[in-house]
Amino acid sequence: MSVPCDETEIRRLLEPHAAYGADGMPCVGREAVATLAQALGLTVKETMIVLLDMDIWPERFRRNQGVFSAKQMARLLSRRVFIAGCGGLGGHVASLLARMGVGGFRLCDPDIFEESNLNRQYFCTEKTLGKPKALVSRDGLLDIASYLDVDAHVIAAAPDNLPTLLQGMDAAIDCLDSVPRKKMLEEAAHTARIPFLHGSVLRDEGFAFLSTSSFQLAAMYPLIPAGTDSSAGQNTAGTAAAGTACLMASLLGKGLASESPKDSPLFHLDYSVPEMERFCLAPR
Amino acid sequence: MSVLVKLSTTLRDHIPGYNPETGLDADLTACAPLPTAETLARHIGLPLEEIKIVMVNGRRQELTSPVYDGDRVAYFPAVGGG
Repeated sequence: MSVPCDETEIRRLLEPHAAYGADGMPCVGREAVATLAQALGLTVKETMIVLLDMDIWPERFRRNQGVFSAKQMARLLSRRVFIAGCGGLGGHVASLLARMGVGGFRLCDPDIFEESNLNRQYFCTEKTLGKPKALVSRDGLLDIASYLDVDAHVIAAAPDNLPTLLQGMDAAIDCLDSVPRKKMLEEAAHTARIPFLHGSVLRDEGFAFLSTSSFQLAAMYPLIPAGTDSSAGQNTAGTAAAGTACLMASLLGKGLASESPKDSPLFHLDYSVPEMERFCLAPR
Repeated sequence: MSVLVKLSTTLRDHIPGYNPETGLDADLTACAPLPTAETLARHIGLPLEEIKIVMVNGRRQELTSPVYDGDRVAYFPAVGGG
C-alpha cells in the first residue's frame, strides 16, 4: 500500500500519541490509530499497514516484534483466509491468526455449539450453547480485533459452493471433521491456486501441514475418496485441539508473511507422551 | 531382529498395555522370510482395515513395504477430526 500523505505529516500527527519502547521503537495505541485513520481517511486496518510500512508498530502487535518484521506484519494484515469448520481446530486457529495479525476471515460451519464441545472448542461457552458456531466465532474475532473483515456462513463447505467461498481468499484452512471432506477442500484450494493448511485431531494426537500445490492428503489417504461420508463425533482432547491449532497457525503465519509460501513436512503431535515428529509423505 | 512399533490413537486399543512413551519392541523373526509392514501388523494383532497410514523411519510407505532390523514403524488410523 502506498502512503497517502508524506511520512513527516503522519509522524507529526502521531507525535502526541506515540510511545517508545526500551529499544526506541515507536508504538501507537489503538485510540491513536483510530484518530490517525480518521485524519487520513483510511480504515483502521489500512492505517496500521501504512504505519508498519514506516516501521511504526501498532501497540497491539508490539509483542510480535522479533517474530515478524514490520513488513511481514503489514503483509499479514493484508491477507484474508477461509476457515472451513469452526469447532475444535477452527476456533483456536481463527483466534490465534487474528491475534497474530491476519486481517480478514471467511468462516464456514453448519453446526451449532453443543455441550460436548465445551472440552476443546475455543468459542464454545455455556453462553454460546445452541448458537451457530460460524456466527459466534465471527463475533468472537471482532471482539479480539474490531477492524477485521469477517464474514460467516452457516453452511457446509461443498464442491458446489467452495469456488465462491474461496474467491478473494489467500489460504484455505482445513478444520473439517472428516477425511473425505478434508480431501475435497484440498482439491478446491489447489484449483483456486491458494495454499492449503491441513489440521486434524483424534484423541490426544494431531496432524498438520501446509501445502501450496501438492496433494498431500491424497497421498496420506489414497483409498478414501474425496467428498463422501462424515466421521464427525470422534473423541478429541482439548490439548490436542489447541496444540495442533498452534502448529497450524504457526505454519500459516510464516507462510502468509513470506513472499512465497513453501510446503511444510507433515507434523504429528502426540500429547500422550508428549512429542512431535516430522514425516515425509513422498515414498522412498 | 527387532523393530520399534509406534501406534496412534485408536490402534492402541488393540494392544493392551501399550505404552506410548516407549512404543512396542517387536520381534521380526516371526514375520520371516520377508517381513513387511503388513506381516508385522498381523503379527502384533492390528486389524489391517483400520491402518490408513504407515511411516517407516519417518517416511510414508505401503503395507506391502519391507521392514528391516532396527526400523521404526508407525501405524495410523484415519485421523479426521477437526
